[in-house]
Amino acid sequence: MIDSLLAYITLAMILFSIGFLGVVSRKNIFVIYMSIELMLNAINLIFVSLGRYYESMQPQVIAMIIIAIAAAEAAVFLSLIVVLYRRKKSLNSDIFTILSQKDSHE
Amino acid sequence: MSNFLLAWIVLIPFISSFIIGVMYLYSIKVARVPNFVFSLFGLSAPLLSFLLGFSFFLQMIGNDEIFLYKAYRWLEIDGYDIDMGFMADKLSIFMVLFITFVGWLIHIYASGYMKDDKGYGKFFFYFNFFLASMLLLVLGHGPIIMFMGWEGVGFSSYLLISYYYEDGENVKAGNKAFIANRVGDFGFIVAMVTMFYYAGSNGFDFLNLKESLLSVPVPVLTFIGFSLFVGAIGKSAQIPLFVWLPDAMAGPTPVSALIHAATMVTAGVYMVARFHFLYDLIPHVGLFIAYVGAISALFAAIIATKQTDIKKILAYSTMSQLGYMFIAVGLGGYSVGIFHVFTHAFFKALLFMGAGAVIVALHHEQNIFKMGGMKKKTPLVYFTMLIATLAISGIPPFAGFFSKDEILLTAFSSGEYLLWIIGVFTAILTAYYMFRLLFVVFYGKNYKEDKKLHFLPKSMTTPLVILAIGSILAGFIGIPELLGGENLIGSWLGNWKNSSLHVTHSTEIILMVINIFAALLGIFIAYKKFYMYDMKEVPIFTGIVWNKFYIDEIYDTLIVHKIKQLSIFISYKIDVHFIDKIVMGLSRGFIRSGHYIAKMQNANTRFYAFTMLIGISVISTYLIMVLR
Amino acid sequence: MIDIIFIVLSIIAISGAMGMILFSQTIYSALSLIVTILALAGVFALLSAPFLFMVQIIIYAGAIITLLLFIIMFLNIKDDNLPSEPNKMTTIFIGAALLLPFNILVLKAFYTLPSKPMHILGKDFGSINDFGMELFRSWLVPFELISMLLLAALIGAVVYARKEKAND
Repeated sequence: MIDSLLAYITLAMILFSIGFLGVVSRKNIFVIYMSIELMLNAINLIFVSLGRYYESMQPQVIAMIIIAIAAAEAAVFLSLIVVLYRRKKSLNSDIFTILSQKDSHE
Repeated sequence: MSNFLLAWIVLIPFISSFIIGVMYLYSIKVARVPNFVFSLFGLSAPLLSFLLGFSFFLQMIGNDEIFLYKAYRWLEIDGYDIDMGFMADKLSIFMVLFITFVGWLIHIYASGYMKDDKGYGKFFFYFNFFLASMLLLVLGHGPIIMFMGWEGVGFSSYLLISYYYEDGENVKAGNKAFIANRVGDFGFIVAMVTMFYYAGSNGFDFLNLKESLLSVPVPVLTFIGFSLFVGAIGKSAQIPLFVWLPDAMAGPTPVSALIHAATMVTAGVYMVARFHFLYDLIPHVGLFIAYVGAISALFAAIIATKQTDIKKILAYSTMSQLGYMFIAVGLGGYSVGIFHVFTHAFFKALLFMGAGAVIVALHHEQNIFKMGGMKKKTPLVYFTMLIATLAISGIPPFAGFFSKDEILLTAFSSGEYLLWIIGVFTAILTAYYMFRLLFVVFYGKNYKEDKKLHFLPKSMTTPLVILAIGSILAGFIGIPELLGGENLIGSWLGNWKNSSLHVTHSTEIILMVINIFAALLGIFIAYKKFYMYDMKEVPIFTGIVWNKFYIDEIYDTLIVHKIKQLSIFISYKIDVHFIDKIVMGLSRGFIRSGHYIAKMQNANTRFYAFTMLIGISVISTYLIMVLR
Repeated sequence: MIDIIFIVLSIIAISGAMGMILFSQTIYSALSLIVTILALAGVFALLSAPFLFMVQIIIYAGAIITLLLFIIMFLNIKDDNLPSEPNKMTTIFIGAALLLPFNILVLKAFYTLPSKPMHILGKDFGSINDFGMELFRSWLVPFELISMLLLAALIGAVVYARKEKAND
C-alpha cells in the first residue's frame, strides 16, 4: 500500500537529501538558500504526516511556525545576499570565506 | 625558665641572619649600610645564644633533666607525626656552649679579618645562618630536625667556601664540598627512612627511638648504623669522602676556623654520639667506625707532613684529629670523643685564626716556605700559635694532651692494640708536621724583609688570646683520676659506656708517658729538620705523599671521569640521536598535522556542510549496525 | 485514487527539487522550487491539513519565493557573475552515497511504527477552526514570539540592505 506513513516519510527524506546535496554541491548562494528552504519543507512534511498519523493538530502548528521562521529567514538572508552581491559582484559562496579573515572589510 | 627559650637559641641567629641579609640587600641596592651595623647584629646573635645556652647549662647542673620543647606539629601523615621540636640534654647543651662561644670569638675575629671586604654583610649573613643551622642540628629533638640543620650547615658551608666566587676554582671547591656532602647525606637519608620504617610509629624523636630501636633486628640496625656513619663520613671528612675538606680552604680563613675546624665537621662525631643508643647495640659497626677513623687520622697526618700551604696543613690535621674522635666514639667512649671535639674546637680555631693572622700580615701569602721570621714581627700570634701547636701535639698540660690521652687509653683498654699503635704513630706525625709549620713560619729566614707587614686589628688578636687561654685550660675539665683530678666531662655527659676504667693505674701511667714521648719525638724530628730553616729557594716537592696519594686523581679517573663519559654518552648519543629525535619528531608531527588540520578550518561553508555530511554518515552507519 | 495523486505529486516534487539543484541559471532553480513547493502543498492537502495547504501556496510560493525571484531579477545577474561549478555532479553523487545510511536509518526507525491508512479524514480533523483553537490554546506564547522574530528580521533586513555610505 503506497498511501502509508512510510511513503510520506520516504518522500520527505528524498527531498531533504536533495536539499542537503544542494547545500553541499552548489556554489551559487541563491541555490544554497533555496536548498535550505527545501529542507525546511521536507521537515514540514514529516511533521504534518506524523500529525495525520497520530491525528493531532500540534505538528501542523509547528509546521506553521516553521513557515513563519522561514519567512523571517528569507528576509534576512536575501538582504544579506544583496549586500554581499553589491560588494563582490559574485554569487560564489566560496568568495565569502574572506569573512573569516580579520581585515575582511576592504 | 621555660623551655620555649630552647627554640630561641636557634631562632636568634636565624633572625639575625635574616635581618643582616635584608640589610645587605638594602645596602647594595639602595644605600650603603656601615659595617658596624652588620657587626652589631652578627656578633650579638651568637653571644645571646651563648647566654641562653649557659642558663640552661646552669639549670642542668646536678640533675639529669632533659629539656624538651615542641613548638608545633610540623607534618601529619596519617599516624606518623613529626613535631618541630627542640631537645636539650647534657650532650647538646655542651655542644651549644662551645659552638656559640668559639663561634662568637670567630665572629669577632671575622669582623677584623673581613673588614675591607665588599661583601661584609653577606659574609655575616652566611655566618649567622651557619651558626643557626649548626644549633638546629645540635638541638633538634629528632633525626628529621637534625637533618634540617645538617643540610643547613652543608648549604651555608657551600656558600662560604665559594665566597670569593670571582675565582672559578673557589666555586669548584664549593661544588666539591657540596657534592661530597651529598653522598654522605644520602646515607643519612637512607638511614632515616629505614629507621622511620622500622621504628617510627611511636614518635620519631631520639627519646622514643631509644626505646623502639631495641625491638629492631640486628641486621637492620647494622644497616642503619652503617648508613648513618656514611653521613658522618661525608660531613666529618673521613676516608673516603675527605677530598672536599682541603679544597674547602678556598673560603676566607674565619670560615675555615669556624666551619672546617671547630663546628661543622664535628657534626659527624656529634651524630654518632647522639645515636649512641643505636651504636651501643651494634658494637661491630662501632669497631668499623673506629678503624675508619684511625686510618683517616694516619692518612691525613702523612699527607700533612709534605704540604706547603699553611691552611691545607691545618685542614689535613683537622681530618686527622677527627679521625681520633671517631676512634673514641666508635669504641663507645662517647664522652671521650666529645671531649676531644671540645678541646679541638679551641686549639684548632686558634690555629686557623693564627694562620689567618699570618696570612693577612703577609698580604695573603699561604705558602709556608715563603714565610719566616714571624716570631719577631708578630710575637702575640707566635705565642698563641705555640700554645695551640703544643696543645694539638699533646704536650701536657695543654688541652690536647688530656683528650688525646683519653682516646688512646680507650683504644688500648678496649683491646684494640692496632688502633692504639696507629694512634700513637699519628701522634708522632702530628707533633712533627705541626712543629714543622711552626718552625718554618716563625723561625725561618725566608721572608723578604723589605715587605711591610699588614696591620693586625685588635678584633683579630683579642680572640687569639682568649682562645689561647681556652687551649690551656680546656683540658682541665677532663683530668683523669690518675692525676688526682676529676673527669668532669665524663660525669657531665653521663653514664655512657666508658671502657677506660678497666686498666690499672700503672698501665695508664705508662701509656701517658708513651704519648708524651711520642709528641716529643715528633717535635725533635721537626726541630732537627726545620729549626732556623733558611732555604733560599722554595722547595719543590714531588712524590706520592706530596701528591696526596693521588686520591683526587684516582677519584677523577674512577668516578668523575666515568660519570663524565656516561654523561657525554647520554647527552651526545642518547639525547641527540634518540630522545631529541622523538621529541623533535613529535613536535614536527604536531606542527605538520596542525598545518593540515588548519586547512580544514577554511571558512568555506560548503566544506563544513560536507564534513557534517561525513559525520552524519558515519554516525548513521554506526547506529544502523547497533540498532538491529 | 489517492495513491495515484500522491505518486504524481511526489514525482512533480522530486523533479522540481532535482531541477532546482541541477539548473545552473538561478532563475530556473527558483522556478523549479516553486513547482516543488506547490506539489508539497498538494501533499499537505492529502494529509488533511487544509490550512497548511493554503499557507504553503499563499505565503511560501506566493510571498517568499516570489520575493526571491524578485531579488534575483533585481540583481540582474549575468552569466559571468555565476560561479563555475565543474565538480557539481561528482559532489552530488558522493553526497548521495554518504546520505544513504542516514536515510536508511530514518526510514528504518519509522518502519517500526505500525502501519495505518492515511486517507483524508472528515470534517472533524484538520479544519481551520481546529487549527486556530490549537494555536491559541497551547501555542500562544510561541506565536507571539514569532511576531517578535519577524519584527527583528524586518529591522535586520532594513539595516543590512540600506544604501551604504560612500566612505564605508
